[in-house]
Amino acid sequence: MMEQEILYNKIFGISGKDFANAGSVSVKIKKILKEIGIKPEVVYRVSICCYEAEMNVIMYARIAKLNFTITPNEVIIIIEDEGPGIENIELAMKEGFSTATQEMREMGFGAGLGLPNIKNNSDEFKIETELLKGTKLFFKIYLN
Amino acid sequence: MQLKEIVNILECKNHTDEGLLWRDIEYCYATDMMSDVLKTCKIGSLLITGLVNQQVIQVAEIMDLKGIIFVSGKEPATEIIEKANEKNLPMLTTEKQLFEACGILYTFGLRGREIFQKADDGTGNSI
Repeated sequence: MMEQEILYNKIFGISGKDFANAGSVSVKIKKILKEIGIKPEVVYRVSICCYEAEMNVIMYARIAKLNFTITPNEVIIIIEDEGPGIENIELAMKEGFSTATQEMREMGFGAGLGLPNIKNNSDEFKIETELLKGTKLFFKIYLN
Repeated sequence: MQLKEIVNILECKNHTDEGLLWRDIEYCYATDMMSDVLKTCKIGSLLITGLVNQQVIQVAEIMDLKGIIFVSGKEPATEIIEKANEKNLPMLTTEKQLFEACGILYTFGLRGREIFQKADDGTGNSI
């Protein structure tokens, strides 16, 4: 397989429980994509996926790195967190299933739509998790 | 419909720059779940919600929402209003309940539309 040319790459840090800054990484990514001139539908899909993933880290994990890459054909996002991991991925991928606490629900989250929404808005989606270690989420959105 | 008309219809209090009230509203969306907004809300909608916190502002930025109406007389904290002003996001409050506010706007012709749903005329200019 040929290595893809990388047009842009940036790594962001996300801290768990940092509700005050929740969403700020996704807003930055959205601005970068908009400035580059990526078409609106792709900008929204990437932003929505990033926001859902960012909220998952803030609600459940201790810390995470979000690797954001743009190639001539796609946007690639890899989010690797240190956290509790997901006990049952099949359940977590089901719409409406959530392990959110009352506090998270009061903030308007925990409807059990996060991971399914990322899957629906991305063109390629992969999730790996290890209990008590963390979760690695990988998704791609094609530019065309 | 312009936001300033909505201010009159719902007897809203405006918390942000008056100049933003000229903004034209095409679609509305009502929920207290931010996950719902990210899943089904049409880009550029007016959000009507009973949830008052910072998250609403971030979600509004991601979804390019044209404005927010907080219902049931819930008042946003000063820092939330400041953030909305920074981001040129119109922020209104009304004493009306969620169901009532939505019902009134519906009778005035406003409708909801789902994310990426194509325009009725099939032009595809849905976002």
